[in-house]
Amino acid sequence: MAVETPTAATEAPRRGPRGPLRRPRLRRHGSETVAAWLFLLPSLVGFLVFTAGPVVAAGVISLLDWNLFSPPHFIGLDNFARLGPDTTFWSALGNTAYFTFVSVPLTLLVSLGLAVLLNQGLRRMAVFRSLLLLPYATITVAVAFVWVWLYIPHDGLINAVLGAFGIDGPAWLISDDWAMPALILMSVWKSFGFGMVIFLAGLQAIPQQLYEAARVDGASPWRTFRAVTLPLLSPSVFFTVITSIIGSFQVFDQALVMTDGGPGTSTTTLVMYIYRTGFQNYEQGYAAAQSMVLFAFIVVITAAQFLLQRRLVHYDL
Amino acid sequence: MSSSFSRRALLKGAALGGLATTGALSGCASGPPPGTATWSMWSSSPEENRVWADFGRYVERRMHIRSASTLTPSDSYPTKLDLQLVSGTAGMVTALNGWLIPTYASRGAHRPLDDLIAADPDFDLDDFYPAIRSISSFAGHTYAIGFDVAPTVLYYNRTLLERNGVDPPSPTEPMSWDTFRDLAVELSEPKDQYGFTCAPSIDDLVSWIYCAGGDVVDGDRGTSPLDAPEALEAIHYVVDLFVKDRATPPIDNLAQSASGAALANFLQGNVAFMQNGPWQVLNVREAPFTWDVVPFPAGPAGSTPRVSGSSFAIPSGVRGDDLELAWRLLKTLTSTGALDIYARAGRNNPARLSAASAFEPPPANLGIVQRILKGEVAGGHPFNVTTNWNRVRLLLGQDLPRAFLGQVSVRDAIDGVMPRLNALMRQHRDAVRQAA
Repeated sequence: MAVETPTAATEAPRRGPRGPLRRPRLRRHGSETVAAWLFLLPSLVGFLVFTAGPVVAAGVISLLDWNLFSPPHFIGLDNFARLGPDTTFWSALGNTAYFTFVSVPLTLLVSLGLAVLLNQGLRRMAVFRSLLLLPYATITVAVAFVWVWLYIPHDGLINAVLGAFGIDGPAWLISDDWAMPALILMSVWKSFGFGMVIFLAGLQAIPQQLYEAARVDGASPWRTFRAVTLPLLSPSVFFTVITSIIGSFQVFDQALVMTDGGPGTSTTTLVMYIYRTGFQNYEQGYAAAQSMVLFAFIVVITAAQFLLQRRLVHYDL
Repeated sequence: MSSSFSRRALLKGAALGGLATTGALSGCASGPPPGTATWSMWSSSPEENRVWADFGRYVERRMHIRSASTLTPSDSYPTKLDLQLVSGTAGMVTALNGWLIPTYASRGAHRPLDDLIAADPDFDLDDFYPAIRSISSFAGHTYAIGFDVAPTVLYYNRTLLERNGVDPPSPTEPMSWDTFRDLAVELSEPKDQYGFTCAPSIDDLVSWIYCAGGDVVDGDRGTSPLDAPEALEAIHYVVDLFVKDRATPPIDNLAQSASGAALANFLQGNVAFMQNGPWQVLNVREAPFTWDVVPFPAGPAGSTPRVSGSSFAIPSGVRGDDLELAWRLLKTLTSTGALDIYARAGRNNPARLSAASAFEPPPANLGIVQRILKGEVAGGHPFNVTTNWNRVRLLLGQDLPRAFLGQVSVRDAIDGVMPRLNALMRQHRDAVRQAA
């Protein structure tokens, strides 16, 4: 140390990284930071104005009695208290949960199955991949109209096919029991392409040596899938589950076009009920309270998944 | 180094340029210049767009100012109008479907026009059919001026009737319900041919209820007479046509627009009768068969189906010089000249008596529409709605179709909705009292 001190004073400019080079690097970091913020700014402004802002605004509106046209009145938590006895709200929440917890696992299974199939080195895989991605790339409303035709009870294509096998098809969209499964089936068909592409990318990132090692160890295909594929695919699965659940809780278009929430309220989803409360019943405060509850549900479920991912998701080989 | 610097500079420049463009574009979105005649209307097809473009040109010609219309598809029009009214970006004149006038009037979204009418000796309110004046009023005040009005009529497929050896119905005398039912059942043979089509919704059902002497709304008493014997008789009659007689095409789904599904069925050519308004005449002209219209079947209270109409109104936020301009614009949009354009295009029967001659055949018996409105033939019942009709419609739209599907009895369906319907009627009563 005694030797170093005078040397440090005199030779500081030549000491390399800790000396004179630090300032240019800081300058460079500074300018990169500015550039990064500039690039982030449009997205950040968009997020603040169109996402965070409305969430805060909805929180404030949920405390008001406001019919859009008359001046709003502060009513505290009254709108939240109304939720308790509102059977339609709970029915809509139940329908949404039913839709989510059936459609998301089904979509994941179909996506994963197809991704595994496509990962077998099939010829013309790009063609298959594009074809299978097509439903996801189409507009939900347009697809929903096509499915309305498919589901026509007396001469729709689905019941015609079932009839060819001697099966008397259900009344689908006009049946209390079958309307929601019909929506789920359509949604699975519409959405599996997204998960499939994510899973396919995840599968192609798994090193082949691991499969070779499993083969050398005599592991069966199922054992290999469980011990190698699934753990290494878990980040993709986690991402797909999170985005699918959030999307499913917000289901609206297909229910509006295909059933208008009926028969009765059997396919009325929460977002549909929020829309109707706010823009058909003119109860903006109550609609905002419902949307805050939906927001809380999504936050809780997403937080729970993030907690679970520490045990179930493997980011390292 | 210099290439790295220029790349970074380029990227920074691109980012700054993007921000500047965004700012410039947002600055441009400031709406039409002051003094422009702005108005809102629904429009769902190129043909409708053309009619409203003609309206715009007519306004510019007559008022010597620029006309700027905001056209929105009819399904999303009310929501867009709500947001425009709240944000102060609505036109100075807005079109309103008649059944929404009490909703907007009771919430103070539009202003009464009585003072403007009283101060304008040139404006002749008597030139408008009484039905549209009633539809455009709320709590004793005129809130809008009509541009169309028409009773529900019965369309029939003349080709199908002739093929089945059935004489066309009288062009002026309404059929009785019994006669109509017998015909509908008779014409529901062979397979895939149907006697009648209408929407399984309150919008169509209400015509039968009026003809039976019933109603959905009973003034501001706070209860609905939907469970009264008259209304129940009407609902049973129509539901039986669907469920017992199987005289209607099967219901495929519950989400299609009310009159749209009935129209699609009728245009297939295998349905004898369709309940609908003359606003569908333009679409039915495309049909590959001969057809015409006759008065609605007469029930115990006669032939008094729903009479509907649409109007133009002025939002409450329009004041000062804009109000004077808005009133001139509203008068121009509902003038005989403008309604001539509307009627000549076949859109619907014009709301003014002086424009009536412009709504011309085909079909041959189209003149029945104006004769019904004048009380010369059959009759009509102005669509009687509440200040929360959206909610009433939604409630009945959820629960009544089960009866049309045969899933529940009419009695059970009505009993199921009555408590919630009466709650909405009480809410309506309170809104009317508050407005008064």
